[in-house]
Amino acid sequence: MTTINRLSFLKAAGVATGTAAIAASPAVAAAVEPGAVETVPGTPIPNEPIVAVIRDPARGQITVLSGTTEKTYTDRLLVNRLLKAAGRNHGQGRQGVA
Amino acid sequence: MSSHREAPEIAKDPVADNADVYAFVSPDAPDTVTIVSNFVPLQGPAGGPNFYEFGDDVLYSIYIDNDGDAQPEIEYQFQFSSSLRYDTTFLYNIGPIGSLTDPNWNARQTYSVTRIDAGLPHGGQPPSPPGPAGPPAQGGPAWPLGLNHARVLGTSLPCPPCNIGPRSTPNYEANLGSQAVQVLASGEKVFCGQRSDPFYVDLGSIFDLGDLRPLQPYHLIPSAASAGVDATKALNIHTIAIQVPITMLTRDGSKPTSISSPTAVLGIWSAASRRMVRVINAKNDTAESGPWVQVSRLGNPLFNEVIVPIAQKDEWNRGYPVGDSEYLPNVQHPELAGLLPVLYPGHSGVAPFPVFPNLTTLNASKAPRADLVAILLTGIPSGVITQAPTFQNFTGATYADMLRLNVAIPPSATPSPLGLLGLDISGYPNGRRLADDIVAIELQAIAGATYPYVDPNRGTPAAFHPDAAVPDVSQGIPTPPTGPGDRYMPAFPYVGSPYDGYDTPDV
Repeated sequence: MTTINRLSFLKAAGVATGTAAIAASPAVAAAVEPGAVETVPGTPIPNEPIVAVIRDPARGQITVLSGTTEKTYTDRLLVNRLLKAAGRNHGQGRQGVA
Repeated sequence: MSSHREAPEIAKDPVADNADVYAFVSPDAPDTVTIVSNFVPLQGPAGGPNFYEFGDDVLYSIYIDNDGDAQPEIEYQFQFSSSLRYDTTFLYNIGPIGSLTDPNWNARQTYSVTRIDAGLPHGGQPPSPPGPAGPPAQGGPAWPLGLNHARVLGTSLPCPPCNIGPRSTPNYEANLGSQAVQVLASGEKVFCGQRSDPFYVDLGSIFDLGDLRPLQPYHLIPSAASAGVDATKALNIHTIAIQVPITMLTRDGSKPTSISSPTAVLGIWSAASRRMVRVINAKNDTAESGPWVQVSRLGNPLFNEVIVPIAQKDEWNRGYPVGDSEYLPNVQHPELAGLLPVLYPGHSGVAPFPVFPNLTTLNASKAPRADLVAILLTGIPSGVITQAPTFQNFTGATYADMLRLNVAIPPSATPSPLGLLGLDISGYPNGRRLADDIVAIELQAIAGATYPYVDPNRGTPAAFHPDAAVPDVSQGIPTPPTGPGDRYMPAFPYVGSPYDGYDTPDV
């Protein structure tokens, strides 16, 4: 039986509407990190996910939540890559794809 | 009220909404202290088919400060786990539930109890491995329980089912409620589950521009006087109750016998915390990560409700008592003290008129309300209560919203619902008993009843005298309050059996 969740449902619906518009947008296309591959998750989120929160983009500060711990690191490269990925998501959202 | 849905955010999160906390020397076991902390307020007894329960994703905490620094030396943590016996039925129960192990009971909840001690291990026990950190350090002061050890005192302890009705939960208290009282090997007694709400308040009136039905002729928008209406008299709540030997709570392991003993006063409050992040999965499950973040707390009744401005109420819930100096100005100059003369101006030809002339003068003087600071933030030093000069529940100069219980004061055989205002030193603000008339006590105090104790002009012609109307400032609800069933019980957990949905279907 095919598993359909909200994400895959919306992506399927978006194929005919927004995807082409994104690809045609130079600003969004430039935000994609070379080699980055967007995939549909094939497994559920773990019971104790590791969550990263960009606390201060300007300073490159990222907080990693794991278990009941919270630690903040400075990693400008990682923060920049995540911001670019997030920018791509925002772009998709504006196009009404997902 | 006293803290039912008291802040905008927590009002949307009832399982974490800490509605009341009570702490008193147990009337039938005076070597112990009973602490009752209530959550999930304003439950209609007929609230099926998914009846009320604690949050499996909430950490419930009861804190005890035994050295006056407004930080906890002891924390009791309660964590819950829900389960279904049958996943193919929509029913909470598939037949009468006659016991806590009855196979007819489908949707169950159990809990664990953990005690965390800061510093030295309790009772000479060998140190346990470091336990989970207490509430997070984020945004707050250093939390002493970070250097601590935790002991799990009990696991898989059963909550009773909710009281559904005579067909589903017959003989509720004998078969289910009383059976859920657990005596732990470590010495504590615990109960977690649905109860009737012991708090009484005329909700419908008091939030209608501060209306008190007996005083309606004097209100800005007057009407005829009438009796108060107890809005919570047929509502249920979820209770966490723990009874602890006093010797397991004091800093030196003693049971103080002198009211003036510095070890006799305990600061007590409770709280609820959630994990920092919750991820809602596509499937019907969720995942959580990050430290526990406190989302609700309660010390003194009505503190967050009527002292803290609405824009700060959720921030207050995030904070810890040791940081409560931020709210000192709100206590020294409470908004409600200014509102009372405005809301109750009285009317010419209807005595008394004006109703609060002396309170108006006191407000205009801008004198800080040291009486309210003592009641709510520091405790009352000895010698202040002239009729009971040895009384004290002072914890020091740190401003902190905690209940303060002097455990050397025995329970009263004839308790006054007005507590200390009724010259019953075993009642609020010395701890808080289930039937204390909190609304009347705090309204009368704010109206000026307690200011003479701290009045710098005491004994002079300029001394403050409470207005003649102050003793009449009440909701007009008879005390002790009644309900469809017994509101209170003579033995632990002292909170009355929950009302069932069949017999109280229309609240």
